[in-house]
Amino acid sequence: MNKFWVITKEVYKKNVKSIGFLIMVLSPLVVAGIAIAIGYFTSQDAENAEAPTLAIISENPAVQEMLSQEGSPFDIQEDITTQAAAEEALLDESLDGYLTIEESAGSIQAEVTHNDSLSDYIPVLNEQLATYQTMVRANELQLTQEQVLSLSEPVTVQESIVNIKDGELVTEENNDTFVQEFGAYFVCIGIFIFIMTYASIIAEEVANEKGTRIMEVILSSATAGNHFFGKLAGVILVILTQLAFYVVVGVIGYFFAKDLSFIQTFLNEVDIWSIVQQLLGYTIIFFVTGVLMYVILAAFFGSLASKMEDVNKSVTPIVMIALAGFYVGLYAFVSPENILAVVFSYIPLFTPFVMPFRIASETVGTLGVWISIVGTVLFTILLTAVSLAFYRANVLIYSDSGIIGTMKRSWSVMQSNRKAKKAKKANG
Amino acid sequence: MLEARNLRKTFGDMTAVDNISFKIEKGEIMGLIGQNGAGKTTTFRMILDLLTPDKGEVLWKGEAFTNRLFNQVGYLPEERGLYPKVSIEDQILYFAQLRGKSKKEIKPLIDNWLEKFDVKGKKGDKVKTLSKGNQQKVQLITTLIHQPELIILDEPFSGLDPVNADLLEEGIKEAQRNGASIIFSSHNMNNVEELCDSLIMLRNGQQILEGSIKEIREQFGRTKLFLESPLSTEALLQFPGVQQARVNKDGVTEVTLSQTEDGKAIFEAATKDGYIPTFSQQPPTLEEIFKRMAGEKHE
Repeated sequence: MNKFWVITKEVYKKNVKSIGFLIMVLSPLVVAGIAIAIGYFTSQDAENAEAPTLAIISENPAVQEMLSQEGSPFDIQEDITTQAAAEEALLDESLDGYLTIEESAGSIQAEVTHNDSLSDYIPVLNEQLATYQTMVRANELQLTQEQVLSLSEPVTVQESIVNIKDGELVTEENNDTFVQEFGAYFVCIGIFIFIMTYASIIAEEVANEKGTRIMEVILSSATAGNHFFGKLAGVILVILTQLAFYVVVGVIGYFFAKDLSFIQTFLNEVDIWSIVQQLLGYTIIFFVTGVLMYVILAAFFGSLASKMEDVNKSVTPIVMIALAGFYVGLYAFVSPENILAVVFSYIPLFTPFVMPFRIASETVGTLGVWISIVGTVLFTILLTAVSLAFYRANVLIYSDSGIIGTMKRSWSVMQSNRKAKKAKKANG
Repeated sequence: MLEARNLRKTFGDMTAVDNISFKIEKGEIMGLIGQNGAGKTTTFRMILDLLTPDKGEVLWKGEAFTNRLFNQVGYLPEERGLYPKVSIEDQILYFAQLRGKSKKEIKPLIDNWLEKFDVKGKKGDKVKTLSKGNQQKVQLITTLIHQPELIILDEPFSGLDPVNADLLEEGIKEAQRNGASIIFSSHNMNNVEELCDSLIMLRNGQQILEGSIKEIREQFGRTKLFLESPLSTEALLQFPGVQQARVNKDGVTEVTLSQTEDGKAIFEAATKDGYIPTFSQQPPTLEEIFKRMAGEKHE
């Protein structure tokens, strides 16, 4: 088997089998599960809540009929018809309230007496009584059904949101911006979490092998390139495994949960499909380049650590950079046109955090987006080349002089090897 | 066959190794001795192409040592390490695969090797559950199981008890019988004398001794004399060239001479009346040479 794959497989197997991976993969699901469970039980509660009991004291049974209809939020106590009976029922808590209705000359006077459990229902009551009054008046005026309907026809209001683009007003679809911003937010947090997790995984991998001197054995078995890219590929496969797992769980979960009423309310508000489309666009490019850049950087910094214990110290610069990107991203979410957000969106290490927000708020053109994409891709390639060049020398250096000291010594080893190789080539 | 020609390596102002040359034939064992920081590890790294020499070259079977030869190498670095959370078997298989072997080739051999090195533990055990000595033996197995033709062992004996050191010695000898060229460094001169066909000693990156053990020892002259005779230490100290004379615990008198020739007069005087049980004139031991050479100030 190709040595690159031997290394890739080893890294993959070791990480996927670890308990840490299981916890990492499952914990967001557990959190989501808890959120869904809470949502489910709350909605169940609301559905199962008993309708308040109400008595109606009126000379006209029409009101009682109307409020007893199917879908009414009240449980009408038809056998209570007098104020005295109602007060008695209120006293022994078998009734929540009673409604007294007096009609005079087509005008309805209503009074609700209740034990404070009907406060939320007053608007409903109000609306129903208004409808009733309309009917009564319509009757008096001898209007037809159509005439009544035409009177109560609601006015439709159409909403258009416009942006100023190139000196013209451009209409945008409200829903789309929301989805894009949601997607950008998701990417920003997702990239940050993935970077934090996987940067430390690969840095640990490398520092561990260096600290235990396994590295020397490996580098006398396979080239530094094979090792570097093998590790990288292994970690990327682990990331893909995690993502694939979420996709599978998401799809299964969708089919299981789509019939739940509270999920349906959510689905009506958010168009899942357009979020998926959004994710498959630029977002995925930023996600991939973002994670890749930081993972490569982490492998490089990991190779600077002399022993396992130094890993945290050596990945600190990466955490700082990512954190800065994350905050600028959140800032760009609020004010995408700020000069800071604009500048940072073109700096490769920050692009994945900031650019999605600028795209979502449509403050950047296609050209700008592609410039930033080409920038991050070129930077990733450059970063890989530099990291790999240093990597070979880094892994042989054990120093107590910190990151800068190690880098200096690594540089001198690199120069020394390079000079020696050049001299050899010149000699034949 | 491994040949190093005039190797030189500098890092900035520091010269780590200067003008080192040696040859190891097929089936030969060479010892590399020297104090810490003498340049042993740098030499190993240059052989393995982890470092590029500023001057000189390393040839393996007459050609430059490159990536293509990785599979023929077995290398045990000075500080030991394995993956603590991986089982013995998986560990051995992984390193063997990195040396170009297939799992199928290596799997049937593992039991045999664990037995040969008397590793306490089952092959499914994780490495971290093993004692340090057993971990070291597992690492030795990973160095040797793919039957490398060039074996480089950096301080293989350090940390092993005498029984395990014997097992390792046996393992090295077996590899030698299979035709491997072996180079190892050690601070223990007994191991070196026992195993090595040839030897080089480094001091501050310079090669200060080279040759077979016999040649090197003879270089220093037969200046040690072990004697059981009627001559007293006082009498011995009167002879020309005698620097020191003392009676050891076993009753044998140990005399230090200035040069080999000084022994003749003592021999004649000691055997004047005929038979004596001991007259053994020897070159200094490797250990004494090591101490003497290491102690000398570098000019």
